Amino acid sequence: MAGALQVSVISPEQVLYEGTATSVTAPAFDGELGILPLHAPLMTLLGTGTLRVESSEGLKRFHVAGGFLQVVDDTVRVVTEEASLVG
Amino acid sequence: MAKGRELKGRIKSVENTRKITRTMEMVAASKMKRATDRVAAARPYALALGDVLARLVRPDIAERFPLLRQPATTTRVALVLLTANRGLCGAFNTNLIREARARIAELEAKGATVELHVVGKKGIGFFKYLGRNLASERIDITDRPSAADAASLIDGLTDRFAKGDLDAVYVTYAKFKSALSTPPSTEQVVPVVPPATQGTPRDFLLSPNADVIVEALLPAYVRNMVYRALVETVAGEQSARRTAMKNATDNASDMLTLLKRTYNSARQAQITQEIAEIVGGASALQG
Repeated sequence: MAGALQVSVISPEQVLYEGTATSVTAPAFDGELGILPLHAPLMTLLGTGTLRVESSEGLKRFHVAGGFLQVVDDTVRVVTEEASLVG
Repeated sequence: MAKGRELKGRIKSVENTRKITRTMEMVAASKMKRATDRVAAARPYALALGDVLARLVRPDIAERFPLLRQPATTTRVALVLLTANRGLCGAFNTNLIREARARIAELEAKGATVELHVVGKKGIGFFKYLGRNLASERIDITDRPSAADAASLIDGLTDRFAKGDLDAVYVTYAKFKSALSTPPSTEQVVPVVPPATQGTPRDFLLSPNADVIVEALLPAYVRNMVYRALVETVAGEQSARRTAMKNATDNASDMLTLLKRTYNSARQAQITQEIAEIVGGASALQG
């Protein structure tokens, strides 16, 4: 499989996650959205739900509400006003 | 040895004061560390948000968003002044208040009516003393401002701007350039001035579309500007307090050296005098 994703999950108060991942599943405003490496540049609004970041160290879940997700050159940026690590 | 006892009392009192200022210095230093960490932690969010808005906002779409609309005339303005709740931090609050007053004078000279919103006991106290009406006052924002604090502070004002009740909103705060430089500054919050585009433009898949994204992100951008102002002001306050308390501690040390020297020379003079008296008395008896 082509490279890995560089993922960062950013809230106003802190950077919750920064690292590589094999896939990201995000709650977009109109439903779940999966991101794999080599995704086309994308910018989308997020709804409320669970963001899942799958990496070699396992699965990380975040609760997010609002904000947006941006994908450029295998860099995924999740920017949300409300985010917290689940579990 | 009346003078000696008096000096001893003063030495004791200066020592006690120095203990207090030194403690406050250390407390402020550790609070400042945490506050600057928060300033640094807030940066990625601001950059990410600014970057996206810079890519999406074009002059031609500005007209469609209330928060980007540039009013033809600026006659009703709101100024939000952030100050500290506590003193003992040198000229920190004074500088912020002076900056705010300069801005108010400047805006009023242009014929605008300025409504003043003040955060922090020190600013509120000052403007109450001047007899100026405050549109709102808040003292509940702590040393650890949250994004929710920023939202509760600015959302009402942005709504009123969107409705056309206000023509501009400014925030006066202490910009945290470094621990030693926290100049007071005033920034325009709305109408939003989109950051300049950097980096290569890319074609993005936009979902749902640019308008909706910009619509959703503009309020977040505004709130984040205010949040940043809040955390920077807290960091500035703590660094100002640390500097002020460090100076106070240094001054107390200087004063102590001087007092101890005076005390010792007084003590020596007393001993010398007593010896001279004894010798004098003895020789008088012999004579």
